[in-house]
Amino acid sequence: MERRTFPGGVHVPHFKELTEHKPIVRAREPKRIVLPLSQHTGAPCEPLVREGDQVKLGQKIGASEAFVSAPIHSSVSGTVASVQPFIHPALGRQVLSIIIDSDGQDSVHEEVRPKGDYASFSVDEVKRIIREAGIVGLGGAAFPTAVKVSPPKEKRIDAYILNGAECEPFLTADHRIMLERPEDVLYGLKVLMYAVGVQNGYICIEDNKPDALREMRKVAANEPSIKVIELKTRYPQGSEKQIIKAVLNREVPPGGLPFDVGVMVSNVGTAAAVADVFKKGLPLVERVVTVTGHALVDQQNFQVKIGTLFSDLIDQVGGYKVEPGKIIMGGPMMGIAQMTAEVPVIKGTSGILVLTRQQADWGEPSPCIKCAKCVDACPVNLLPVFIGGYAEREMYDVAESMNALDCIECGCCAYVCPARRPLTQAIRIAKWEINERRRKCGKK
Amino acid sequence: MIGLFRDFANGILKENPVFRLVLGMCPVLAVTAAVENGFWMGMAVIFVLTSSNLIIAILRHVIPEKIRIPCFIVVIATFVTMADLVMNAYLPAIHVKLGIFVPLIVVNCIILARAEAFASKRPILNSIADGLGMGIGFTLALLVISSVREILGTANLMIAGNPVFTGGLGFEPARVMVSPPGAFITMGVLLGLLNVATGRGRLKS
Amino acid sequence: MADYKVVVSSSPHLKTAVTTPILMRDVVIALLPAALAAIVFFGMNALTVMLVSVVSAVASEALFQKITGKAVTIGDFSAVVTGLLLAFNLPASVPLWIPVVGSAFAMIIVKQLFGGLGQNFLNPALAARAVLLASWPAHLTAVVGPFDVKTTATALVVMKTGQGQIPSLFDMFIGNMAGQLGETSALALIIGALYLLARKVIDWRTPVSYLGTVFVLTALFGRDPLSHLLAGGLMLGALFMATDYVTTPVTKKGRIIFGVGAGLITVLIRLYGGYPEGVTYAILLMNIATPLIDRFTVPRRFGYVKRS
Repeated sequence: MERRTFPGGVHVPHFKELTEHKPIVRAREPKRIVLPLSQHTGAPCEPLVREGDQVKLGQKIGASEAFVSAPIHSSVSGTVASVQPFIHPALGRQVLSIIIDSDGQDSVHEEVRPKGDYASFSVDEVKRIIREAGIVGLGGAAFPTAVKVSPPKEKRIDAYILNGAECEPFLTADHRIMLERPEDVLYGLKVLMYAVGVQNGYICIEDNKPDALREMRKVAANEPSIKVIELKTRYPQGSEKQIIKAVLNREVPPGGLPFDVGVMVSNVGTAAAVADVFKKGLPLVERVVTVTGHALVDQQNFQVKIGTLFSDLIDQVGGYKVEPGKIIMGGPMMGIAQMTAEVPVIKGTSGILVLTRQQADWGEPSPCIKCAKCVDACPVNLLPVFIGGYAEREMYDVAESMNALDCIECGCCAYVCPARRPLTQAIRIAKWEINERRRKCGKK
Repeated sequence: MIGLFRDFANGILKENPVFRLVLGMCPVLAVTAAVENGFWMGMAVIFVLTSSNLIIAILRHVIPEKIRIPCFIVVIATFVTMADLVMNAYLPAIHVKLGIFVPLIVVNCIILARAEAFASKRPILNSIADGLGMGIGFTLALLVISSVREILGTANLMIAGNPVFTGGLGFEPARVMVSPPGAFITMGVLLGLLNVATGRGRLKS
Repeated sequence: MADYKVVVSSSPHLKTAVTTPILMRDVVIALLPAALAAIVFFGMNALTVMLVSVVSAVASEALFQKITGKAVTIGDFSAVVTGLLLAFNLPASVPLWIPVVGSAFAMIIVKQLFGGLGQNFLNPALAARAVLLASWPAHLTAVVGPFDVKTTATALVVMKTGQGQIPSLFDMFIGNMAGQLGETSALALIIGALYLLARKVIDWRTPVSYLGTVFVLTALFGRDPLSHLLAGGLMLGALFMATDYVTTPVTKKGRIIFGVGAGLITVLIRLYGGYPEGVTYAILLMNIATPLIDRFTVPRRFGYVKRS
């Protein structure tokens, strides 16, 4: 079987051995959950409940009129303790959040009931069900799935890629989902393909997960329209643009989206969540989170109620083995470092990674020797050696002219840099400055 | 008087044409292989610069604004021709060594620059002081560069045809210093050292 | 749960174990076979020249950084690499003050004055060799043959003047011929380069395009391409000088252009120039062209399609 891949990228030690053979276990019932009202790309939700209200599992407690948004549901039954700002793990600042004390009963809201066979609904009804269930991309970007499957009419979509590459080191949540719930993943993909109206589905998995490949091939054997694709293990194989390049050899244009080349990409976890809606009726109130890292006593794949605090999960693997150096939401290449473990799991939390002090110590950068390892690694053909240099010198217009905005912030350049220069970090700042300037010019 | 002295001293260090304004690089790089060449080139420049500054200052209200550059050039070229002929007559050996670089003083930036920036706007005495100062500053720079180059490149120093150090300086001369690259290296290093010494070498942070 | 102070920074949070000193150390390791060959063929003189050159390179850099109040960075091995490469470009019989002056020039004038590691636009070892050659040509061209101290014409001089005997291809390959002390043994240099390729320290593009261009051009001009590949400093230049990170292009296409350009200039100097050997000047000239090459070989933007 041929293995497909993309140009550029790096080979990163993947550290998945810590959790890849550990089945998903249900995390301890949280006593209190924190649900930020903005867990997705798009407009934040308005709270639908007030302090003291009784809520049930699966009850919608936040919603927005905006098209690009996703409602939020309670993941426990209990009482609303307060609606107040709380530190957000992805935004790094205080965001209005609903805090709920669990009564431990998990009494299910009456609207939660299996929806039945997706084929009995119209396409629009399927999209509405997905939207109402609050489903967002679970790979990390948390883009509302209902919006994704509603591309502009003029775009002809002919392929749906289900992303099971999980190229981020340490993370094994998607891997375990494919192993333990392959039918649900397949079912979810079929729903998504039905919603978009495409005939070709691809389930793409890196070759460091042979067991997942085997399982998915087994269940997809009788589906002529769905292919299981083996990808080379190479970071960032799971990046949207790279996986499209690898699987279909199409390149998303600069500033474009996958639908510009007729493709939709979703995460395998998202597909499983879609399956949950139709099979069980459950909105997105739980997800699989890999709790891992060498600073922890143990590592585990947890089925976690959204809103559970990081510290609660870290306690459940026995706490810290050594002093933690860095607490990261997501993987080590694109994840977000946290100031504290007292932050909630949100819809986009694929993992909680705790690095040791030694791993977190980046060291002092030394002068760039123009080795061009970053140029070779860049999956979008940029010259980070120059863009990063201009960004560090705050020459943002030059950085812009070298297409800094094309950067996908995958982190490859900073990872390979033998001089330890924070290239990705510098380019990220440059992108922010460039966008800020463009915004200002646009307003004038 | 103080004004005159300031105009004179200005060209020697503060606005030294070679190390500060970095003008007139062509002779600086070309004729500094030997101290003697550098000295006579400097003399020629002092003469041309002072005389042209004087004449241009006198004529500064007469020369029409729009054609001032050709006028300056005519004045400068006259004095350069004089210098060239005089050197040819009385210093034939040096004249052969300097060759084309004496006539080329016409297009030496520093002379036109002083005419444009100073002599065409200032009184006669100040212009003479400026011409002298700039000329001497230029000559001093040539002397410094050429002595470094000649000593390192020949392990000796020739003045009026006689070696200063009889028997040489006891090291094998680095011939690169008396070839064109040596001029660039010497110029660059001296410029850098001067910037460091006067506190200009610090980078803006 | 106890509160810990944790590091908060933006991603990525993982870094490779390969650092600049490790890369430089690999280059030193790769140069060892050639150093060994130099000692075998040219005796202890070669060892002395190499030691003097390395020590003075490291000392010059440290001294300059001390005087100018900069952090001393001799721990990154880059001065060792420069010193060793310079020694490779000198005859084994050279007076010992030559490597001292050369190393000082390389480290201070070529490297540190332009801003230190990563900022020099010329290969320090080659620039120093060019200056030494221009200053004291007699010492640099008086190369000795292997196993004796007699001054001998190099294969390239023989090819140029037609007087004397070119060594056999086998002797040229193992390094049993007259030449600068580190350049003669193609075998040892290739072993070192293969190590660097295997460790992914250098890219194959520059050496292959450089050697390939020389091979094709000399064949086209009716010369013996194999002797041209093995003679003179070509192997050393193509494998270790043209692959220097700082002074060569960062783009893949640029590295090929660099190699082809260097090959072209080398052949032109060897066949039609005043010098028997042109590798030093070829690489230095291409060093100067490097920023231009980088500018004109920016890779195609991912997903960018030219509209027809």
